[in-house]
Amino acid sequence: MMEMKVEKKLQVRNLRVSFRTNGGKVQAVRNISFDLHKGETLAIVGESGSGKSVTSKAILGILAGNSIVEGGEILYDGMDLLKISEEDFYRLRGDKVAMIFQDPLSSLNPIMRIGKQLTEAMLLKGKARQRTARENFKEKLALLEKRMIQYAPENTAKIKQQCETFRKFAERYAQNELAYNTATESLQDAVSGLNQQRFLMEKAAFKEMGDLVEALDFAKASVSPFVVEGEDATRLQALCTTILAGAKEARKSGDYSACVAEIDELLAILNKAGEATKPAFFSRAYFDLYADKGENRPSGDMEAQNAFYNDYMARAYMDEFEEDITRMIVQSDAEYKQRRENVVAELAKAYDALNAGTVPEFKPQLDALCKLVEDSVDPMDIIKDSAACTFTGTMKSFVAQYETGVKTNARKQAKYEREVRQAEARAAKGKDYKVAMPTTIDLDLVKENMLAAIRRLHDHYIARNEAEATEVKRYKTDTITDYLMDNAYSMVSKVTKTAARMKALKLMDEVGIPEPRKRYKQYPFEFSGGMRQRIVIAIALAANPDILICDEPTTALDVTIQAQILELIQDLKRRRNLSVIFITHDLGVVANMADRIAVMYAGKIVEYGTSEEVFYEPAHPYTWALLSSMPDLDSKEKLDAIPGTPPDMRYPPVGDAFAERNAYAMKIDFERQPPQFPITETHWAATWLLHPDAPKVEPPEAVTNRIAKMKERMEAAENE
Amino acid sequence: MSEIQNQEALQAAPSVNDDVLLRVEHLCQYFKVNKAVDDVSFDIKKGEVFGLVGESGCGKTTTGRSIIKLYDITDGNIYFRGKRIAAGIRTYREKIKQAREEMKNADPARKEELRQVILQQREEIRAAKRDHFAKENRCVTEIQMIFQDPIASLDPRMTVYEIIAEGLKIRGERDKSIIDEKVFRVLERVGLVREHAGRYPHEFSGGQRQRIGVARAVVMEPEIIIADEPVSALDVSIQAQVINLLNELRNDLGLTILFIAHDLSVVKYFSDRIGVMYYGKMVELATSDELFAHPLHPYTRALLSAIPLPDPNYEKNRVRVKYNPLSDHDYSVDKPSFREVAPGHFVMCNDAEFDKYIREMQQEQ
Repeated sequence: MMEMKVEKKLQVRNLRVSFRTNGGKVQAVRNISFDLHKGETLAIVGESGSGKSVTSKAILGILAGNSIVEGGEILYDGMDLLKISEEDFYRLRGDKVAMIFQDPLSSLNPIMRIGKQLTEAMLLKGKARQRTARENFKEKLALLEKRMIQYAPENTAKIKQQCETFRKFAERYAQNELAYNTATESLQDAVSGLNQQRFLMEKAAFKEMGDLVEALDFAKASVSPFVVEGEDATRLQALCTTILAGAKEARKSGDYSACVAEIDELLAILNKAGEATKPAFFSRAYFDLYADKGENRPSGDMEAQNAFYNDYMARAYMDEFEEDITRMIVQSDAEYKQRRENVVAELAKAYDALNAGTVPEFKPQLDALCKLVEDSVDPMDIIKDSAACTFTGTMKSFVAQYETGVKTNARKQAKYEREVRQAEARAAKGKDYKVAMPTTIDLDLVKENMLAAIRRLHDHYIARNEAEATEVKRYKTDTITDYLMDNAYSMVSKVTKTAARMKALKLMDEVGIPEPRKRYKQYPFEFSGGMRQRIVIAIALAANPDILICDEPTTALDVTIQAQILELIQDLKRRRNLSVIFITHDLGVVANMADRIAVMYAGKIVEYGTSEEVFYEPAHPYTWALLSSMPDLDSKEKLDAIPGTPPDMRYPPVGDAFAERNAYAMKIDFERQPPQFPITETHWAATWLLHPDAPKVEPPEAVTNRIAKMKERMEAAENE
Repeated sequence: MSEIQNQEALQAAPSVNDDVLLRVEHLCQYFKVNKAVDDVSFDIKKGEVFGLVGESGCGKTTTGRSIIKLYDITDGNIYFRGKRIAAGIRTYREKIKQAREEMKNADPARKEELRQVILQQREEIRAAKRDHFAKENRCVTEIQMIFQDPIASLDPRMTVYEIIAEGLKIRGERDKSIIDEKVFRVLERVGLVREHAGRYPHEFSGGQRQRIGVARAVVMEPEIIIADEPVSALDVSIQAQVINLLNELRNDLGLTILFIAHDLSVVKYFSDRIGVMYYGKMVELATSDELFAHPLHPYTRALLSAIPLPDPNYEKNRVRVKYNPLSDHDYSVDKPSFREVAPGHFVMCNDAEFDKYIREMQQEQ
């Protein structure tokens, strides 16, 4: 097996989720673990009720109100998604992790136009981004000032002055750049608008005079911020008038060739303006701010202007300020490294203390520890060290959980025992009566989780210190100035409705919706099922997520549309390097999509491996049953249906959950849960059949036949 | 009078082979301008399973519903055991309209002729409307339907017993003991137990609910069952249970089934003959092995190439054929019709395509 270095995007560890219902506690997910690598597709396969959707909802933090997360962790970017606050989740949900739901009809709002649904989130997020950018900019700059004064108190006045000028400069620069970007974009739109008119004329389908007038006006307006000089400027005006007149004539005669030629000429002028040299914003903003008002600005072509501004900046740029920042960073780096080292030592001590003692004993010590950890987090960090930031919250929630457990466990246990006695009494009378497990909190597990959290931060800090010793810093001088500049830019840039619309149209084009401009204004009911699912995908992609969760995205669609949607998801995954979690009950769909497969049954993963391993060498009887119950194109033999129904998860079976429906079940299957037996490095299955003492069992004939056929087909394909 | 007319209309029906149970001729079902089903013809022989496939919105469900007269068909005829049970009147109406137009400037002799034509057409319409054969002979109860959604198609306020017995009561069965016996027998037949009769639908899982749906259809002892996507709302493992059940029923009771589905592997597994529909038209009809071995119509090929199989290596190399009716056919001059390319293998094509298909068939042999 080739050793490959893969980036783990998401790690689920020992996740357990239950639901409180009238009939008792339903254990939906029982202790599952898996990793999601960057750029791969992980398929989760199972029947309805096997807990696959619950897992995905836990990742997104949208579990139903009656759910209880009993344990485990979902690690993303150093954060445990089960522990972070709802505010933190706002930043993740949709932005980093997006979801495509099963039924495209019910996941779209029937009384909102498609366009509005697509842009809604963009506009809201845009506003929020502007607000946070403003806050970030102010906060970081103030912090920078404070920090610099802290290390060089003698220069207070000078530093304050420097920061103030920097603030002004950043804002001016952002405004200039924004103006230019907006102008470029609108010029592109003007070009595409004219191209559309030209296309209509070529096809002789040109009808609306108004559209042409609009397109021409827009072109004239959008070219104005660019320097168009001499002949081109007069020619532009002349062309606009002649095109209009020509189009009017041509509409009668039906011969548009003259018009098309003129539009081509106009397009050439626009393109030329667009391709001109970009103004040097940075130095220009600098000049605007610092030069004497009397100093002459150069005129002439853009290159000469840029040279002039650059030259000015080279002479007068505030190098001193940057040098000061660098000096400050060196000092503060050393200090925080020291603090982190202290924390590492403390954490090691705390780990031992907690390991030896109990949680209540550890509690007084914990507050001091949390304080230390909080102090060791450098607020100047551009990339937030989320592992350290969430430490306090995580610990507090554990302690709270522990205390609740201490308070209520005894009562619940007593109630449970009473019910068991009653049930036994009834059983003696010959009545079948089951008792649900109590919803007690496992105190040992809480402690274990606390220990794990401490250990995790400990390891994280050691790793970080090591990394920083080899010059991988969380921030440097230019990362700070870049960060401030970026935030200044987002502060002035507003996501307007027009901008959001343009982006939405591009997205609709990307997911393969024809005529996006027309479709933009329609309601969901005007779309077919496949097109609706494409809209849902476009909405999910709007925020450019890392992880895409597809919860049975094609179950409601028919074969051809299903194939199209699957191809689309594959294609988007490749283009955007997405990690995909694909949930389905259809093994046929999975074969095409998945890199790795987890087969789930009754809240547990029963088999886990690469797609080839699961399809060509399935090991768990449930996987066999799934494979053999699918109708085959080649044979007409009786299907091996799985008898019975999945177990009632209020009363989870003691042994293997599949034992009752399993033709290969042994005595031990009813008594003890099977552990995970590894088959290869990447493949394991939880079945007692793999135990060395178990009798050798062949998969059912239907499966072996099918695999043999697949192999034949594969060899035939290779021979060709 | 109507009695005699009726008899005549029935005798005028084309001589139908004994083993053809249901014949659909030029069936059209328009909803205002929407041509949901447009000129579809097929026969279903006794004891066979006839599969209808196509993407959603292609009219396969509408065809099924038209057969059990949930809609009044627009045009065409449907014969059950050689007797007409439904007829559309659109052609007659159009003929009358044409005759009236012509009558405006026709000479008297022609006028008289046209008047006769109109009268004749009116008689036809009357006959079509008074086709009481189906009602009188209760042959409607011999065609039963199983619906797609096992949750929506069962009344939540009726017990399983009431749901299954309802049809028997409507048919006029009064004897409680007979009803009881039939209901319990059919419950056991579909793999449920007697005790389930007193429960309500919500107490059952999806697969069990679909069994109730099957029981409701089977208890009427029908000749033919129209199964409208009976398994597409079910999980894979439950799907296999229901398919096996339908298969058993078919073998034991000698049922004829019109099986409507979009999952091609299920249709292939279950059906003897398959009709492929596309936008209200039937584009190809053949035995299931023949259809999968030699698909001729480009849409059928596109459909077959889209079937996902549980085989990763095959899947990674699978190339999906795309179907674009505008570029794949040139029907500007020569209109297509439904023709027999090989014995029992029909394709919608025009002359040029017909020759091409025949050549392809010969080459493959």
